Amino acid sequence: MGLVFALWPVTVSVQELIANQASPQSALTRNEARLYFTLRLQQWPNGRPIRVFVLPDDDPLHIAFVKNILGLFPYQLRSAWDRQVFSGTGQAPTKVASEAEMLQRIATIPDAIGYASAAANDPRIRTLEVR
Amino acid sequence: MGSRRFVAALLINLLGVAPASAQSVWDSLQVHGFAATAALNTTANRWFARRSGASFEFTEIGLNASLRPLPRLLLAGQVLGRRAGGMYDGTPAIDFALADITLFSSPRQRAGLRLGRIKNPLGLYNETRDVPFTHPGIFLPQVVYFDKVRNLVLSTDGAMLYSETTTDLGTLSLNVLGGRAVIDTNVEWTYLGRDYPGRLKSDRNSWIAGLWFTSHAERLRLGLSGASTGFKFAPDRYATGTLDPGTTDVLYWILSAQYSAENWTLSSEYAREPMHWHGYGPSLPDRKMVTEGYYVQGTWRPRPAFELLLSYQEGYANRADRNGRAFAAASGGLIAASTNFSRILTAGISWDINQHWMVRAEYQHHQGTFVLSPRENPDPNRLAEHWDLVGLQAVFQF
Repeated sequence: MGLVFALWPVTVSVQELIANQASPQSALTRNEARLYFTLRLQQWPNGRPIRVFVLPDDDPLHIAFVKNILGLFPYQLRSAWDRQVFSGTGQAPTKVASEAEMLQRIATIPDAIGYASAAANDPRIRTLEVR
Repeated sequence: MGSRRFVAALLINLLGVAPASAQSVWDSLQVHGFAATAALNTTANRWFARRSGASFEFTEIGLNASLRPLPRLLLAGQVLGRRAGGMYDGTPAIDFALADITLFSSPRQRAGLRLGRIKNPLGLYNETRDVPFTHPGIFLPQVVYFDKVRNLVLSTDGAMLYSETTTDLGTLSLNVLGGRAVIDTNVEWTYLGRDYPGRLKSDRNSWIAGLWFTSHAERLRLGLSGASTGFKFAPDRYATGTLDPGTTDVLYWILSAQYSAENWTLSSEYAREPMHWHGYGPSLPDRKMVTEGYYVQGTWRPRPAFELLLSYQEGYANRADRNGRAFAAASGGLIAASTNFSRILTAGISWDINQHWMVRAEYQHHQGTFVLSPRENPDPNRLAEHWDLVGLQAVFQF
């Protein structure tokens, strides 16, 4: 058993979808989460513009979140963003350099959405359940 | 100042939402761009080149900016400079410049309106056809995405309505675009055979429509998209040896399918283009012809940064004369049958060095010369039926 785990590639154990405490939602469907992260749905249900934060494409947390929570592959997200940016039909998400910066941005920007490797221990950040 | 206030008041009335503050409006400004250059070599014929052999005449630079002044309004524009052999000289042009208004938006349904110069959403790739990292390979499959007449289907000055409905099966999207096609001299060379004294203009409104199905998780994409357009030739009245003021009607449609797995993607598209020339006078008699082409393309990513490409494509100038023999016979044997078809096998590799840089290498074997630009290859007698193309490309994006 120990050998199996030793051979398993290094992965991030848990990924949580997080948003600023001001988020009008406490849970969302996987499909809604995909629409937010592909930037095809650009507003919260209350009409406020959503601001999406992501880590670099090759970050292990980004890869794990995209595959496990969104059910997409990172190259599909990249391609959706590039197609929108270079045809003038959408904007790119804001890239952050580290998970610490992600948490800091989500905590301080009212319409922000992102992800973390654990439920955040910060009253300004809400963990959204993905159903 | 007054007019700016008026526009702001108009937008607030139109869209029903006021911006939170001036600060947050400029927070939404994004600037992106790309630059690409290629080294190409052919064993015969001219491809993105004014001479045979090695060429360094395929370079692109694009710069775009977008701003969301209101939650429901996106403004975006891109300038593109494109040098492509004898077809384009690199003069910067407005690639798109549009306002996108969200009419409604919910997890189940979304709809909106775009106004301005809009990239035509045709097939899997046309909307971003000049942006290297949005498609595999240095060149798009030429039998569907002709570079020799790129501008005929590139963009439209007009208005577009789009909608998306998400159901339990997947997402269904529909878009309809109407307006004027943005055409150029390459269109004249390809559809009229050469650059006659006079001007080619858009004859009527172009209509572009697309219906797409995307499965959940975007594994499968299926689409039918098409354009109906027409152009008119306005001869130079004082010139001799020109054409009468004729028109050409073009219908162009593409059937698309793509399956995306974690490490590989399989894509295939079939395009058909019925055309009708009429009223050009005796030197270009009235006629109808249907052009067609298809490709099958596989990409495999052994590592996220590496992508291998293998594709096969076939295209025919006239589907009623696929081997071109009737055409060759009609020319009295002066023009080879192989000018009327292209069969192309492509192998390529690309490497994302980091998030900004990518390099690509590509090899193509061609039988036939249908995809070549007549503007770069004006003498059909000098064309070789079997030829190879090798390309290297470096791409930068931010």
